[in-house]
Amino acid sequence: MAEGGSSVELSRSLTSSTLPPPRTRIFKIIVIGDSGVGKTCLTYRFCAGKFPEKTEATIGVDFRERLVEIDGEKIKIQLWDTAGQERFRKSMVQHYYRNVHAVVFVYDITNATSFRSLPAWIEECKQHALGTEVPRILVGNKCDLQDSIQVGTDVAQQYADAHSMPLFETSAKNPNSQGDGGCGGGNSDHVEAIFMTVAHKLKSQKPLVLGQLSGGSGGTINLSKGMHDEGDETGSWGCSSC
Amino acid sequence: MKRLERKKQNARVGLNGNGSVHREADCGRKQKLSEIHQALISDPVDIETLRRAAASKGGLLTDELRRKVWPKLLNINVYDLPYKPGRDVRENHKDYNQVLLDVRRSMKRFPKGMPAAERAVLQDQLIDIILEVLKRNPQLHYYQGYHDVAVTFLLVVGERMALAMLDKLSNYHLRDFMDPTMDSTKHILNYLMPILEQVDTELHDFMIRAEVGTIFALSWLITWYGHVLSEFRHTLRLYDFFLASHPLMPIYLAATIVLHREKDVKQTECDMAMVHHLLSRIPQDLPYELLISLSQDLFDQYPPSLLAKRAALQSRKSLSISTFQAFQLSTFHQRPDSVLQRLTKAPGATTSRHGLEAALPQDQVQLWGKGNRMVKMAVWGLSATLGVAVFAVAQTAMDWGPEVLLQLF
Repeated sequence: MAEGGSSVELSRSLTSSTLPPPRTRIFKIIVIGDSGVGKTCLTYRFCAGKFPEKTEATIGVDFRERLVEIDGEKIKIQLWDTAGQERFRKSMVQHYYRNVHAVVFVYDITNATSFRSLPAWIEECKQHALGTEVPRILVGNKCDLQDSIQVGTDVAQQYADAHSMPLFETSAKNPNSQGDGGCGGGNSDHVEAIFMTVAHKLKSQKPLVLGQLSGGSGGTINLSKGMHDEGDETGSWGCSSC
Repeated sequence: MKRLERKKQNARVGLNGNGSVHREADCGRKQKLSEIHQALISDPVDIETLRRAAASKGGLLTDELRRKVWPKLLNINVYDLPYKPGRDVRENHKDYNQVLLDVRRSMKRFPKGMPAAERAVLQDQLIDIILEVLKRNPQLHYYQGYHDVAVTFLLVVGERMALAMLDKLSNYHLRDFMDPTMDSTKHILNYLMPILEQVDTELHDFMIRAEVGTIFALSWLITWYGHVLSEFRHTLRLYDFFLASHPLMPIYLAATIVLHREKDVKQTECDMAMVHHLLSRIPQDLPYELLISLSQDLFDQYPPSLLAKRAALQSRKSLSISTFQAFQLSTFHQRPDSVLQRLTKAPGATTSRHGLEAALPQDQVQLWGKGNRMVKMAVWGLSATLGVAVFAVAQTAMDWGPEVLLQLF
């Protein structure tokens, strides 16, 4: 599973002028969840820094990436945005579970079914040998839609705790368009914080055993730690497919 | 490969030719139009000529011709189209939620500037025709991307003919994608690498080393590129080609596109993510005519049967491939529209006359025909329950039908 190391070696030998300097570590994160929960929006928001105007159904797997700097180290975060429809995950997406360093589970807080599907998604990960040793986080998306909440924070938190995952509730939408304070209200770097949290977590693990340490960190992540002031270097490519 | 290179060069010469090229192209177009018309009135319809026209340079040229030729390519009698789906098609349908979700967010597929109300009418029709096909064919399963195929037909030929075309296509060309699982789709994707191997071993080996897989071409294949092209006219051009071709042709085009970008691929990092990323984004300025003709060459040179032998691909049975011959044979005995119109029994006015004529009184049809040629009425929806006729206008060009159209009713 020490793919981070070997792919760095590979990139060093084949490096071209457009690539980041050598020694850039790559964190590969897969984003999964039911159709329509906002996986594409979240990944686009993080990589392009803005909410996409229109997103369409993802067919197969989309890839986005962004270079960030954490404690002086440049790190490439690769996000694999997957199709939500069951038939795709059964026979198409497996290829992309390989060598994944972290998993982001997404549900839609206005859609109880998407929350009830989470056990199936977790099972899916287990089948691809991605157990609790791989850092996993749970994201409840669309919390700008305060009027149509179907999944309460307390229920989600219980579930997250039971599976040793941190829970985030957020909106990939432009925070300016949000109504009341709500769960994500006013925090423009909320999506940023989610992925940066994962990146910090991965970075804190020893490079050689990346992705193999215990990821058991219950409780909701405190977003006001100021951990997201590093990620200024938005990738210049990779987010145009929406 | 040498042959392909030569073709590339020839095409370049063609592009850089002198002023007479334009006139020749114009002349070629006129000749093509007349050939297509001749083929349409032949009895039986000259399907070979129509196929050639659809695949050769420029494809079927206009939407008006597409409305006439597409049904012939699929052996559809335009005077015997299915009724528009009733409201009940949405009730208790297992795929309703997924279809609704995908169609609602497929705004990009509709012409820019289309008023939201008209788009909404079309989106409703899109949902209905998809569900209707699935209801008529319980063995077929909806996949995300099917809506990208459906919308292309809806925008050009209108609701009832789109329904007929989609039904036929789903049972033949798209059949493998509509299995309960996507294993058959994966099987079709597996033809891609062997084609590359035949033409450019170095590129093939590079992609194998990168472990890129073939999922980058998945949306190309199952949407006939409708999902990834931003210019609708390019999508239409490819649909002309695919409707006239073997069900595996989209894979040959995928191979051609990868080969066309060979330098970019080899220059990129030999890594799954990098190569997937590069290939999954189709450059919007691809030389489609050239690539189409190269795909045909590839198909002739390395037919599916040959690849299957070399790459041990026979292990799985593809329904699209195994039924293709019978499908193709069935298209050879079609009568021209003038005969079909006479032969097809007409229980009511709206079923005997199809398309535009069905929706509008005769004099208004003529008015439309004489009007701005750029305004192409593609779609109309009749809401009988309200007693009001609503119709939406879609067109492939950028301009918009005048408001006055709405006053016809």
